[in-house]
Amino acid sequence: MLAAEEEPGPEADEGPRPGSRATQILVASAEAVMSLEAFIDGLDFLARRERYRIKLAGDEILDNLVRHSAPLAGGSLSVRVSRRRSGIALSFFFRSPKFAAFAARCSDPEPLFDATHRRWRGIGMVMCRNLSHSMKLRPGRFVDRIFLTFLLEPDGDDDARSGHDIPRLSLIEK
Amino acid sequence: MTQLDISLKNEEGHEVLAVSGPVNSYTFTEFQEKVYKAIKAGDTVIDMSKVTTLSSAGIGVLMAALDDGEAAGHKLAVLRPSEIVVLAMDSTGFGDRFPVIQTLKEF
Repeated sequence: MLAAEEEPGPEADEGPRPGSRATQILVASAEAVMSLEAFIDGLDFLARRERYRIKLAGDEILDNLVRHSAPLAGGSLSVRVSRRRSGIALSFFFRSPKFAAFAARCSDPEPLFDATHRRWRGIGMVMCRNLSHSMKLRPGRFVDRIFLTFLLEPDGDDDARSGHDIPRLSLIEK
Repeated sequence: MTQLDISLKNEEGHEVLAVSGPVNSYTFTEFQEKVYKAIKAGDTVIDMSKVTTLSSAGIGVLMAALDDGEAAGHKLAVLRPSEIVVLAMDSTGFGDRFPVIQTLKEF
């Protein structure tokens, strides 16, 4: 069921090579972010900087899902990482009655300072957009999906932003 | 599973918060408590050379601490940030807002 729709490539190509795709089921809890990091750290088909990008973006997506989209159906979600010649895909599969609200937050990437709670809000989605090549959210009848794609990045590349233009944003307080 | 570890040490006459492990949505409250306490007390250096990830929650703490320090007349700097910390700060779009130093002499 979860794999009923293949995630978009960066571009459609030959598909993932054997051993370059891995899936993890996560319990939807605050600790899940630690499990996700351990999962991504263990993927030996990723270059170091690819791992960093995926870990940073993945943490933000997962944190948003757990904190703002709960309860997830079955109390869990599935995460898949696949590497192809044209790029890497990070996919989340879950079912949430609050998916529309989640998608709305993702569409407004401007960070705001919440003076009441002394917290910046919206930074995580900005990070996801800047770290990834593309981000797509797809509600489904049975499974909701989030797909992020990343450009390949060889180890030893000194430019942390290679292949990505990171826009400078203004800070807005409310 | 790697855990967050934060210790206070004195290096070259400066109080340094040495942070190692992940600063993420699960661990950031300890990071928040110690950073806010330190910047309230005086100039603060945060050694982030051994940080294995830095989420938006952790970045938000650094940004709020910068504001607090500015209001109190205290300086804050990030010492020797790891590669993933630099990437995280840059990915916010305002990476140049964070005062990064490579040695304590720059503080």
